[in-house]
Amino acid sequence: MASSGSISISKAEKSFIQAGLISNPPSRADGRSLYDFRAISLETGFAPLANGSARLSIGRNPHDGSGGTEVLAASKLEVESVEPGGGGVDGGRIACTVTCSPAAYPHLSSSALDDLQYDITTVLHETLTHRSLHPKNLGILIGKKAWVLHLDIVVLVDSGNVYDAVFMAARAALWDTKVPRTRSVEYKAKKGVVGAGGAISSSIGKKKGAGSGEEGGGGDMDVAEEVVSGFDTRQIRNATDFELPDYWDEGEVLDGRDAWPVCVTLNVVPPTHFLDATLPEEAATSLRLLLMFAFDPSRHDSPNVQGMRTLGTGELEVSQLQELIKQGEKYARYIWTALNTKLKEESLGRLKDRTKF
Amino acid sequence: MAQPAFDRRRINGPEESHPPVFIDEEPSQTRSVKSRKGRASSDIRPIFLQPGLISQATGSAYIETERTKIACAVYGPRQSKGTGFHEIGRLNVEVKFAPYSCQDRRAPMRDAEDRSIAMAVHQAIVSSVRLETFPKATLDIFITVIETDGLEGCVAAGSIAASTALVHAGVEVFGLVVSCSAAAVGDEIWLDPTDEESKISGGTLVLSCIPALTSITSVWQTGRMSPKEILGCIDTCQSRCNDIHGVVAQALSSPNVPG
Repeated sequence: MASSGSISISKAEKSFIQAGLISNPPSRADGRSLYDFRAISLETGFAPLANGSARLSIGRNPHDGSGGTEVLAASKLEVESVEPGGGGVDGGRIACTVTCSPAAYPHLSSSALDDLQYDITTVLHETLTHRSLHPKNLGILIGKKAWVLHLDIVVLVDSGNVYDAVFMAARAALWDTKVPRTRSVEYKAKKGVVGAGGAISSSIGKKKGAGSGEEGGGGDMDVAEEVVSGFDTRQIRNATDFELPDYWDEGEVLDGRDAWPVCVTLNVVPPTHFLDATLPEEAATSLRLLLMFAFDPSRHDSPNVQGMRTLGTGELEVSQLQELIKQGEKYARYIWTALNTKLKEESLGRLKDRTKF
Repeated sequence: MAQPAFDRRRINGPEESHPPVFIDEEPSQTRSVKSRKGRASSDIRPIFLQPGLISQATGSAYIETERTKIACAVYGPRQSKGTGFHEIGRLNVEVKFAPYSCQDRRAPMRDAEDRSIAMAVHQAIVSSVRLETFPKATLDIFITVIETDGLEGCVAAGSIAASTALVHAGVEVFGLVVSCSAAAVGDEIWLDPTDEESKISGGTLVLSCIPALTSITSVWQTGRMSPKEILGCIDTCQSRCNDIHGVVAQALSSPNVPG
């Protein structure tokens, strides 16, 4: 039932790992302290056909590129009909999918793998698609069309701490995402001319209602002269279609990209806890606490918790939980700061690449 | 998991159909609500709990909190089929929705099953069950949602029903698991929110705990909340859980429980 990707290890190994973690000073197999992360490497924009993408690995060996958790994330935008039956919603929507490569979990049966990726998908989807995080620029035409953002994540290799990796990769890919600009197009029939195909002129207005465009000036004049009944309370939306002024790799950044949370997994081995568990360590831990934090740059003292989950068979006291949340906030802030620095570096690097010519 | 296969056993309706939207049912635009309608912020909906409703099962329970109605049956411990040797027993939770349980119809087979709720219920009760007492065996818990009003309430009521059914089945547990949900609306914390209330809230939290041991088995939070709000929610939920624990204990010890 509780399908975790964890491997099964012997009782002796389990107790050896636990004894190491709670000994003083604590010792781990790879010599890290309890709150050390393995080295994280991140690259954005690796998938040229996606609207935004990121490739992240935790703990890859820098010399031969072996080992480590490896996650790919890519976002792709599609236009969706908002009309009944289209499945879309006004203002757009986000759909997250996590796929676990069978190569990453050779010990799991295909149904257990399905369950595992469904579980990770649920946590990611419920956290990222909450109203409080919804980007404002996914709508196209009210009542007609909207963008749907598919965020697809592939876990290529799992050597522990997959939730943190997935959330970091998701944040990086969404940060990298560019939404193509759209302009709404409306067709207006000339007054007095009935049913003449040639009489349809197009006027192009900016999406955010920035007035009418330059083309089809005659049509605009006619509309302005139309007498509108004071009793007509229906709102008639004229925009019927939209066009894309951008090329495929241009666009504006996704709104609210600062707000996507990072996840920190606290592996609880009473009386202590540790971060960034490897696979054997995960198998020796009975309780994990996932904390999704986002830090608003304008308000330094009050972070937002965007999600919280407990996984595993362990139990907690309230006082323990309070302490864990407090500590988790501290770790999450480190991850947040480091990730932001890296993301800014990446976008600067990309800007340099583009202006080289 | 949802099964994409075509359902040959039933007469399938048209490929595409939509529930009608009635004028008086248009989603209310009450975005900024100052105070709660109908009950105080720390009030929960009254609970009706009856163990032993499904005579065929080893243990069962039915729970009703206003518009949330859930039936739960426990089978086992029985021999695990088709799995390898397990030193500790397995706990299997399945949640099924009746087609008429939600605002939109949930088609049988296709989207009747909800693994995320099953996962939450499993997480809530697994640490209370002494799984090491039945190696090689499986406990199956089937939860049928007959009507639902809010996902959080569904998880909370489902966990309470599952724990009650386990005890009714005579399975050894460390303690009764009870569960309570809360929503942060503005500056207030509303306990046991309905669907509408959780839609206007900034974030929701479901806390499951064993009041007898004062330990927390599961925290399930979504939405935006500050750490202070979360701790506030946990505190109020926990104190309310003590009351719910009394309700469950009374339901189990009342003399007219069948089975």
